[in-house]
Order: sequence, then C-alpha cells, then structure tokens
Amino acid sequence: MTTTSHAQKSIFNIGRLLQSTLSHALIIFIGLFFAVPFIWMLLTAFKSNQDVFRTPPSWLPHDNVFVDVNGEKLALYDVKTEQGVKQLALIKILEGVGTFVDPAKPDEILTYEIQQGAERIAEPIMQVSFRWQNYPEAMNRGSRPGVGASFWVYFKNSLIIAAFFIVGTLVSNTPVAYAFARLKFPGRDLLFVIILATMMLPFQVTMIPIYLFFNDFLHWGDTFLPLIIPAFFANAWDVFLLRQFFKTIPEEMCDAARVDGASEWQIFTKIVLPLSTPVLAAITVFTFLYAWNDFTGPLLFLNSPRNFTMALGLQDFQGQRTIVWNQLMAAATVFTLPIIIAFFFAQKTFIQGIKLTGLKE
Amino acid sequence: MKNVTSGGIKLPFALKMPAKVVWTKRTKSNFRTGILFLLPWLIGFFAFTLYPMVISLYYSFTIYHSKRLPEWVGLQNYRDLLLDDKFWISLNNTLYMVIIAVPLGLLASFICALLLNLKVRGQSFYRVVYFLPSIVPTVAGTILFLWLLNPQVGLVNTLLARIGIDGPNWMADPNWSKPGLILLGMWGMGGTIIIYLSGLQEVPISLIEAAELDGANWLQRLWHITIPMVSPITLFNLITGMIGMFQYFAQAYVVGGGDSLGSPLNSTMFYSVYLYQNAFLFLKMGYASAMAWILFIIILLLTLLLLRVSDRFTYYAG
Repeated sequence: MTTTSHAQKSIFNIGRLLQSTLSHALIIFIGLFFAVPFIWMLLTAFKSNQDVFRTPPSWLPHDNVFVDVNGEKLALYDVKTEQGVKQLALIKILEGVGTFVDPAKPDEILTYEIQQGAERIAEPIMQVSFRWQNYPEAMNRGSRPGVGASFWVYFKNSLIIAAFFIVGTLVSNTPVAYAFARLKFPGRDLLFVIILATMMLPFQVTMIPIYLFFNDFLHWGDTFLPLIIPAFFANAWDVFLLRQFFKTIPEEMCDAARVDGASEWQIFTKIVLPLSTPVLAAITVFTFLYAWNDFTGPLLFLNSPRNFTMALGLQDFQGQRTIVWNQLMAAATVFTLPIIIAFFFAQKTFIQGIKLTGLKE
Repeated sequence: MKNVTSGGIKLPFALKMPAKVVWTKRTKSNFRTGILFLLPWLIGFFAFTLYPMVISLYYSFTIYHSKRLPEWVGLQNYRDLLLDDKFWISLNNTLYMVIIAVPLGLLASFICALLLNLKVRGQSFYRVVYFLPSIVPTVAGTILFLWLLNPQVGLVNTLLARIGIDGPNWMADPNWSKPGLILLGMWGMGGTIIIYLSGLQEVPISLIEAAELDGANWLQRLWHITIPMVSPITLFNLITGMIGMFQYFAQAYVVGGGDSLGSPLNSTMFYSVYLYQNAFLFLKMGYASAMAWILFIIILLLTLLLLRVSDRFTYYAG
C-alpha cells in the first residue's frame, strides 16, 4: 500500500520535474526571440565597415589586423605566394590587383592578384575587435552629409522637447485629475465621459487642422513649439491615471483640512500632490518615453536638420542610399540608452504604470 | 474599489441622466472651482479636439490644397475615395494587420504571460528580457528589424540558412513585408504581456486549487478558469490593439524610407500612411480629412461591435 503510493508519488515528481524543465527551456527559447535582436544591435554597432557586410555574418565583431609600415597603418593579408603563404600589408587594390609590402622588408613592393578564378590569393586577416570609434563617428555626423547638424544636436533637441513635454504634462494634468477625483460640481460626470471618449478619437482626425493652425496660422513650423505646447493642455490618459491614484488618498485627510478652512487649491498642492509622488514618477517616466519615442509629431513640424529629433534623424539616416549599418546601430543604441537607463532606475514605476493604464477600476 | 479583474473596458460609472441641479450659492461656487481646475483640459479640448474635429469634418466636404481656400464640393471626396484603388489597398493592408497581427499578438502575449507566471529560477530576469524590447523607440526598433531581416547579410536569413531554409526577401518582397512587420510588433509586445501577467496574478489561487482537487487537468483549468478570468483584459487589449493598428504609421514610414512610401508594391501602404501621403505630400487636405473621418467611423463601429459581441464572452467578477 505504502510502496505503491510512494511509487505514484515519485512518478508524479518526475512528471513535475520534466514539466518544469520543459517549461523552463521554453521560457529561455522564447526569451531568445526578445534578447537576440537586442544583442545583434549592440554587436553590429561595434563592427567595422567590411565586417558588417561579411557573409555569413559572425556574432562577434571582427576587424582587420593592422601593421605599421613606414608610419602608415596598413591591413595585413594572408597572400599565397610562390614561396607559400606570407603575411603582407596591403597598400591598395586597383582593378583586382593588390599592391602589397612585406612588413619585414618595407621597401619591397609586391603585386598579386586578389583572386585567380575561384581561388582567393589574398585573404584579409581578421581578429575579434570591438570598434568603439563607431559611436563618436556616428554621433558626430549628421543624418546626411553636409546638413550642418550632428546626432548630438538631434539628441539635445529630443532632450529639450522631452523636458518641456514632461513639465507641461505634470502641470496641466494634475489639477484636472484632482477635479475629477475629488471636487463635486454639476456637469463633472458628463465632462468625465467626454474626456474618456476622446481616447477613442484617432489623431488623424484632428491632425490636419492642428497642423494648419500651428504651421500656417501661428507660423510655428520648424520650431519645437507645436510639439511642446499641446502637452500643457492635459490629455485623457494621464488624467485617468492620476484620477485613479488621487481617489485612493483618504478623503478624511482632505476633509480635515477643509474644516480648518483650507481652500481646494491648498488641499491639492499641500496634501494631495505631496502624497502622489509614486504616480507623478510614473507619469514622468511614461511621458519621457512618449516624447522621446514620438515620430509623427516631429515629422509633421520639423523640416531643417538642425531641429531634428533622434527619431527623425535616425529615419533620415536610414533613408540614405548607402546604409552604414554599424553607425546606424550605434546611433540607435544611443537613442535607446536613455530609456533603458530610465527603466532600470524606475522598474517598479514602469510596471505599475502599465498595469494602471492597462486596467481600469 | 480597486478590483482589477473586473476591469476591462466597462465604464467606471453608470450612464444616466444627471439629476436636476439646484443652483444654490454653494453649487455655484463649487462649479466655479471645478471649472478653474479643469481649465487646462477645457481649453485644450476646444483648441485641440473639438475645433479641429469640426474643421476637419468641414474640410472633408471640400477640395482644399493647403494654400488656397477650401472649396465646397459636398460628398465628392467620399465618392472619389470609393473609386480610389489605393484607398482600398491601404484599407486591405490595414485590415490584414488588424485581423492577423492583433489576435496573433494577443495569443502570443498570453502564452508568454503564462510562462512568465510559472515559478522558475530567474523569473524576474526573464520578465525584464521579455519586456525590454517594448520600450525601444519605434524608429530604432524598425531600423533594427530592417537590418535583421536583410535578405543577404541579415541575421534571420543566416540562421534560417543554417537549418537549410532559404529565407525570403522580407521587406523587399510584397508577400513578406507584412509578416516582417508582424515579427517587429511581436518583439515589442512586452506591455501587453505585463498587463496579462498582472491579470493572471489576480486569478484566485483557491479557485485553481479547488479545480485541481476536482481532478481538472492543466488544460481544463486553463480553459475553464484562467481564460475566462482574464477575458476583460483580452477585450481591453483587443480594442486598444485594433485602434492602434488602424493608426499604424511610424514603422511603415521607416520601411518605406520616406520617399517610397508603401514599398514594395504598396504592400506596406497602410491606411494612415496613405492619409499622410494625401495630406502632406499631395497636399490634398480635404481628401485626407475625408479619409480621417471614415477611419474614425470604422473605429467607432468596430469598438461598439466588439463591446456588444463580447458581452456574451467576457466575465466580470463581482
């Protein structure tokens, strides 16, 4: 009796173990789908120009091995000569004929065909090497040659817009959310239905009049103003998120202040806001994410490269005829980095905010 | 009050006619205070929502080429749209994404959430890994996928070649460009996974244990308990996903490279891309406004339809 139950139990355990191992393997396998593109971006950003287009590509970045010959940095090649394979430094390749020099005998110029039929005579010697220069090279260039602005400028522009956008969002949404959460006045519920209904309105419906208003009427085209000003007029998502939080603050605290003769504005600024730092942090992080990521707004309003944001600059850079993937990935990494940093600083806030915006009451 | 599982899209209040207001001195003062607090939104609502809506509806009945004054043409834009092949192409492409990409994304997110809810070592690490791509900026993510899906030197085709599959041309092939974009979308579905995950954590353990005692297997528990319990979340994600997909723009714009929007062969010419093209490249503002209103009406009708149909399938606790 006991033995059978024991046997059953151990079979059960083996089943459990198998199941958990399998599910763990599945988690890792699917995890690769999320992680590998990310890793590929980072690795590509370190590759040299030739290495990017190597087929098949290797995981780790490779670069030529260089030698110093008469003060010049030359790439080293394995060349099949009459005396066997020799390591020679390449000076130039012209019409399939390479001019080489032996690093040991720097005065002797040798010429070999790079390829004879199917056989490669000269093969560059590669080694694993992380090309850090891609980062400064990518950031110091513009999205296209001669635009007079670099990715640093785009980065700065994105930061400026995001900073003002965050200020505007915090300043404008908090009082609105407070009114919907805590004030009782006629028409409030109807207005709340209206603000929620605006969530369903696609941006495309208002896009053209807003564009014409900022661009043709106010002549704010090619400035940051059309991207920043709307943030100062509240929006449904943030109002909703803040309202949900404000409603959790004990009513009695506000009532006590009211009895003491505090005005609603005082209650809002002195009691409710100081208690709301978690949700204000969530709003800050999400607003940063939104403003930093925004593509359509800058595309509509910004024309000259000196005003481009990172998103716009990166798109413009990608649209070039010859795509320098390594630099493009370096710029994309720099573009992504502030968000990753923000995530690791405010991981809890992030997750909490997603749950709050994703789920209602 | 904070009953998360009963959430979904259910309105957080009952829609009823407001009781008749008696305007005492007190209510008047309350009203003034309320309006003052609401002022930022009220101004914004009139300036950036209501007024643009009215104007854009008016534009949709006009021929309006930006610099010239709009000229009233009645329903002509709408008639022209119905005869515009590219309009139908863009609508078809968008519906393809709504019908295939959105449900596929939801299913995949749900499966990922189930996996991340299992008690395995390194659980929080895996959660971060699954979530992180969703915060990569759209333009950066799209460019990264253009690179990964590069037909010759891209990582995806390289890996496929290793297992003997001759990978497609992806973004250069009209049949594969949309599946490529779907892959990109699934890479960034971390937000939906988190929402599902929080829903799964709300499923009462007592319910699962009771079912287990009654001999329900894993699949039965999933089908009869977990899926119904997260159905409000599914509905919410379905509606927001659908609305978002109708406005799919930045990724397609980056793939088109700006001056060849919709390439290859209009396969990435989505509704919002064609709308943008009409408004800002062809400067047909009236035509584009008509497109915007058709979009709005489609979204509105589909949302109402989903809410109506879902009444039968969605479970609300309490």
